[in-house]
Amino acid sequence: MSIHTKTAIEAIKRSPFQAVSAIFVLALTFFVATTVSILVYSSSKALSYFETRPQIISFLKNETGSDAITALQNKLALDVRVKDVKYVPKEEALEIYKKATEDNPLLAELVSPSIFPASLEFSVTDLKLAEEVINEVKNEAIVEQVGFTANIGGEKSLGDVVGRLKTISYYLRVGGIVFVGALAITSFLVLLVIISMRMTSRKGEIEILSLIGATPAFIRSPIVLEGVFYSLIGVISGWTLSFIFWLYVSPSLLSYFGSIPVLPKEPLSFFLLFAAILGTEIVIGFAIAITGSLIAVKRSLKKAR
Amino acid sequence: MITFDNVTKSFGSIKALEGISLEVKNGEFVFLTGPSGAGKSTVLKMILREVLPDSGKVLFEGKNVAEITTKEVPFLRQQMGIVFQDFKVLFERTVAENVEVALAVSDVAQDEWEKRVKHVLKLVGLSNRAKLFPSQLSGGELQRVSLARALVINPKLILADEPTGNLDWKTAEGIMDLLEKINKEGKTVIMATHHEGIIKNSKHRVIELKDGRIIEN
Repeated sequence: MSIHTKTAIEAIKRSPFQAVSAIFVLALTFFVATTVSILVYSSSKALSYFETRPQIISFLKNETGSDAITALQNKLALDVRVKDVKYVPKEEALEIYKKATEDNPLLAELVSPSIFPASLEFSVTDLKLAEEVINEVKNEAIVEQVGFTANIGGEKSLGDVVGRLKTISYYLRVGGIVFVGALAITSFLVLLVIISMRMTSRKGEIEILSLIGATPAFIRSPIVLEGVFYSLIGVISGWTLSFIFWLYVSPSLLSYFGSIPVLPKEPLSFFLLFAAILGTEIVIGFAIAITGSLIAVKRSLKKAR
Repeated sequence: MITFDNVTKSFGSIKALEGISLEVKNGEFVFLTGPSGAGKSTVLKMILREVLPDSGKVLFEGKNVAEITTKEVPFLRQQMGIVFQDFKVLFERTVAENVEVALAVSDVAQDEWEKRVKHVLKLVGLSNRAKLFPSQLSGGELQRVSLARALVINPKLILADEPTGNLDWKTAEGIMDLLEKINKEGKTVIMATHHEGIIKNSKHRVIELKDGRIIEN
């Protein structure tokens, strides 16, 4: 073990309550940071889900020929008011139905593709244009019926959902950043105070080390190591608590939100998401610890001279 | 090795050193003596670059100490072993660890530490005290720890600022014996002391200071 690691460990053993304070504040900061990160992720995913879903489905008459379908699809694709046109054949419609009813496979066995109409799905560039586009499409010869995917009370309903999600997402991000930022500053200041106290208690030792030829880097190394140690334990503790929390609530959340991918359903993706958050937090934690330690050491060494 | 060329230093209105010129050659043992406030410690502090002269030059191995940068100061000090009147040991480390610190500071490879620490503790007679803490040692033993720490880096120069000041006569004699032994091995020793008895017992060069001036050399 290097002399600096030994010195850092001895210092922590001598003042365990200071160590606990620093670790506690850091753990709290990173618990909140992890939780906010997941909330931001979930809201972004939900927003993205609603934004990319087609807003309008035009169900086609049975026995419509492929030429006619292609002609209408091309017509819609060229329309500047329309975007993301997609043709869904009967077979694909059946697959969509099967996926939606995967909890009850018996329902899927009772149907065949023939009962599902083919459809053309698309969105409008501006929801204000929805009504006129729908009315035009309804008048097409091969179109049986036109409907909304959200299908709750009027052509602006999906827009309302998207708008609301955007607002929630925005406030989550801003609020999250402010709150986590405030906690990060608190952690930084607590570390600064603890390290300064540590330097004050080591004043005599620092003087002796300086007189026998210790460089500033030698003097500050155990202090910085101590700060890094606090941040590592704090980050891992906070992250772990948050991880356990999300592990516990994720089955209920996924069940509640259904097809909206608020959290990764695949275990590997779930763990990768949290691993990415942990990696980022470790970097940020180290940055807080190293910056705080260096500032505290610099101020103390300046006073000592 | 050390040259003071017309060095002057004041602390406020107090003239600590006035027109000091002296030379210490390699391998010499020199006493710096004089009453309290004569300027003995100021001379040592200037060599250590703890204090800068107001005028004049302090040369260590031909290099002007005042002209070295702040970054180079630790490397200057690593070439010197320092023994203090108040021992200046690290109370939270064992005897061996106190000595190891000097090696760590001088960036000596860690695999050499054990051998060097053992050798130097044997030299100062503290082999069986290696794992004790300073609070468990006597004044004489603490001074030996300080001396061991100064010697372990094999410095060119030993600066001793009243190393026997807090010790009884017998213990002081023991410390002097060690310093004599070190000097015989070729190390330069500059020792500040106002202890007349010690000076009389040793037949070494004496530089006497009074009110910041050299009155005998």
